[in-house]
Amino acid sequence: MSADLLPLLWMAPALLLLGLVFLWPWVHYCWLSFHASSLLTGLATLPNGGANWQRLLQDGRFWQDALQTVRFAGVSVGLELGLGLLIALLLHRPSRGRGLLRALVLIPWALPGTVMALGWRWILNDPHGPLNALIQSLGRSPFPFLTSPSTTWAFTVLADVWKTTPFVAIILLAGLQSIPRDLEEALRLEGAGHWTVLRRLQWPLLTPYVSLALLFRLAQAFGVFDLIQLLTGGGPAGSTESLASYAYLQAMRFLDFGYSATLMLATFLMVLVLSLLWLGGMRLVGARR
Amino acid sequence: MMRLLLLAWSLLPLLWQLRASFLVGDALVGQGAAIHGSPWTLQNYRLVVGGDPSLAQVLFNSALLGLVTTGLTLVLAVPCAYGLRHLKSRLQPAVSAALLGAALFPTVLFFLSLLQLARWLGLANQLLALSLPYAGLSLPLAILLLRAAIADLPPELEDAARLDGLNSWQRLRWIVVPLLAPSLASTGLLVFLSSWNEYPIALTWLSRSELLTLPAAMGRIASSSVYTIPYGPYAAATVLGSLPLLLLVLVFQRWIVSGLTQGAVKG
Amino acid sequence: MPSLISRRRVLQGVLASVPSSGILANQFLGASLSESAEASPAETVRILMPAPLADATAPAVRKFNLRHRDVQIAVTRGPLDTETLSDLATSSLLLGDSPFDLLLMDVSWTARYVAAGWLQPLETLLGDDALAGMVPSARLGNAFGGHLWRMPLSGDTALLYWRTDLMPRPPRDTQELAAMARALQDQGKVRWGYVWQGRQYEGLSCVLLEVLHGFGGRWWDSQTGRTDLMSAEAHEAFHWLTNLVRQGISPPGVANFAENDALQLFLTGEVAFMRNWPYAWQLIAQENGPVTGKVGVTPLVGAPGHQGGGTLGTWGLSLLAGSPRPMGAARVIRWLTGTDVQRDLVRSQGYAPTWRSLYEDGSLQESHPLMEVQSQALLHPLVRPLTPLYAQISDVLQRQGNALLTSTLSPEVALARAQRQSELILRAAGASTDP
Repeated sequence: MSADLLPLLWMAPALLLLGLVFLWPWVHYCWLSFHASSLLTGLATLPNGGANWQRLLQDGRFWQDALQTVRFAGVSVGLELGLGLLIALLLHRPSRGRGLLRALVLIPWALPGTVMALGWRWILNDPHGPLNALIQSLGRSPFPFLTSPSTTWAFTVLADVWKTTPFVAIILLAGLQSIPRDLEEALRLEGAGHWTVLRRLQWPLLTPYVSLALLFRLAQAFGVFDLIQLLTGGGPAGSTESLASYAYLQAMRFLDFGYSATLMLATFLMVLVLSLLWLGGMRLVGARR
Repeated sequence: MMRLLLLAWSLLPLLWQLRASFLVGDALVGQGAAIHGSPWTLQNYRLVVGGDPSLAQVLFNSALLGLVTTGLTLVLAVPCAYGLRHLKSRLQPAVSAALLGAALFPTVLFFLSLLQLARWLGLANQLLALSLPYAGLSLPLAILLLRAAIADLPPELEDAARLDGLNSWQRLRWIVVPLLAPSLASTGLLVFLSSWNEYPIALTWLSRSELLTLPAAMGRIASSSVYTIPYGPYAAATVLGSLPLLLLVLVFQRWIVSGLTQGAVKG
Repeated sequence: MPSLISRRRVLQGVLASVPSSGILANQFLGASLSESAEASPAETVRILMPAPLADATAPAVRKFNLRHRDVQIAVTRGPLDTETLSDLATSSLLLGDSPFDLLLMDVSWTARYVAAGWLQPLETLLGDDALAGMVPSARLGNAFGGHLWRMPLSGDTALLYWRTDLMPRPPRDTQELAAMARALQDQGKVRWGYVWQGRQYEGLSCVLLEVLHGFGGRWWDSQTGRTDLMSAEAHEAFHWLTNLVRQGISPPGVANFAENDALQLFLTGEVAFMRNWPYAWQLIAQENGPVTGKVGVTPLVGAPGHQGGGTLGTWGLSLLAGSPRPMGAARVIRWLTGTDVQRDLVRSQGYAPTWRSLYEDGSLQESHPLMEVQSQALLHPLVRPLTPLYAQISDVLQRQGNALLTSTLSPEVALARAQRQSELILRAAGASTDP
């Protein structure tokens, strides 16, 4: 342990900041979630036992948002994985200008989410947006994309998939490129097609990459906020509201900080439990192999 | 064919923005009436650059904050990664696992606590103070990437330097850091990107319009008229706000990709 | 203190009576002005306003800044969307050191901001009778708990816009409105009958408040401090509104409409009726499009036998707690909410004034025919529930209302849910006040 003193000193400044940013919020939220701190206390913080947690259990909107968030994360990350794999395979194939193509594909991921959320709002505008212009030029009447819960949800997922698929693709591409070429060539010499190569060679070796990309994306998708806030505002009828946007609403608009902290802590715990389940599941799969 | 499809998927939404940014308002949300004269204009760009806050100021704020955040993150992350590499006890895997967990966490959930922090420390409405939470949030990934890079360095180099009598500070400064340059660049780029794009914390820490960063300013770009949603100016701001990133991605694509994939390989 | 205020008031009166003095001084001093300003630093009063109102008041602000050397106004253009504006003000207030002295607030925010302790009472600065010269409905929602919290700058209520080229007279009640719209649609004269605001946002709450009262129901019982949404009248009101969409009188897209969307569609000439705020009048006139010159305005109608009314949607200035310059701010409030500025705002923007004297001003009525309708509408204003929990209650109603328009939910279920959720919120609040 004493040999670790010097390395720990090296690490101290970073650990201090990490503690402030990552650990302190947990402590703060835990404390706040057992207090009333809202308009009715004049924003003073008074202990209120477990009232916030009791309210959470009875709050249909929390459970609805939790379900919506899980569904959003599950579906969009699933699509990102499928599409990301396709793109990775495409980029893996040797061709001219591959570097440029890879750069262009990365662009959506690099752009600010807020900026593109507004961009999508324009693209989906009824009736003036470019997508509706396209529909109208085909002689059909414009479609109100952001009016019904189901289409709004679908396009929110689409916007998220558009933005984050490049991330998944690049991770998977790295996995593909770590597979020795001669293995693939040997398999092909045996007469295996694309599909067989993917199923028998590439997919099994990609598993750790897939697992990491999924874990990372799922956790991020669970905290979806920018997109919801600027594209749909949680509507229509709250059908696209996420846990993060509900917690934000409780704090910044309803000024109920005690309850907002409770919501965020609950979301924390859900992410934690889901991540651990995921890791446990992966380990189980790995052990069976 | 597949490549064209891929390009269309990635770029079409952006091209639509580019087109919208050069169109006059009436051409965007036409009332059915004919538009007098050319529908093309630079008006949207003039509006966002001359607006309050001016987009030039906004982009400057974002760039400055991004650079300071990147610098601060690297200054903290390099020694930390170096120290982590040299930890002997069982602390090392524990710290690494904790960092990975932190790197994965959806950071938007911290906004209320960070707001409280800003209040206690009097950091509200100070642009560069934002680099503290930004650096903090970027640190886990940065440390993990740099630790992986340090682990790749041949250990003989440091051993030789130690025999030459260099202390650990000198070894870090003169042996390790120069060899890390490529990883520093790719890590720095990732940190810069995430700082440029961060929204909820900037939204809650800044209220003075002359301090806004690009994501926070987007909501404040208003149109010249009450009843049109300012899509033209939004599009112009999108184009101007994306250009620096486009350049970064096109020029440093290799490094960004290597930063991302290194995380995948070693994580 | 009071003597000081009255002296300032006298001084201001003198200054106002010689408006050219400041301008003249400026011209004479020319370039040296900035130096002398440095020598005796002027107090700068900072105001946060939504972008449209910042633009509308810009000439008045310029005028003030030219006339006064010791106090200057600096306006920050906030976001377009009013709730986003409130978020911005909220975060600046939560952070403590707010960069603003004055906030231009929607009437529905007042109770919330007062409960949070973010406002300074104005009666000590402006006098107990500051609202005395205003029309009664413009006074609503500004003073409570024994204090004056806000000075209204506009007295807007929502109005019904109708097409004078399509019908001889406006409808008298909701039944007529629907029937006339339907007939015009059937004759192929318009594509849609009636546009309003159905998006999940504050505007929908105003629409719902109007139909509830228009059918004899109500949203809020101020006696008990509870919502009252389970009445037969409320059911009828929600049925009527839902049927507008389900029967095709209003476009399905209305469920995602805010004021600007409704106006945009109305301007194309494909709609017979529109619910909107007074400022739309001016925009229609300026547009010079297919409907310009063919639009009339009337107060919103109720169901047969019931009084219709428009939601009171006034904007007003409030002084933020912790502002170090209440005196300068009070002068700015007095100027911006005063009759001169309001007269200009009527002419340039169509905002309804709050001062009785302006409604009695014949020349203004002549140049701005809307004034007559506005003063009629102000006789029956609808005020949104005056509770610090308004934002929560309104959010609940918006969600259920929007669900009604975007799904096959029945009005009864939507109302029952809104009532139950509102009660949960109010009860949770009660629990935390007395633990």
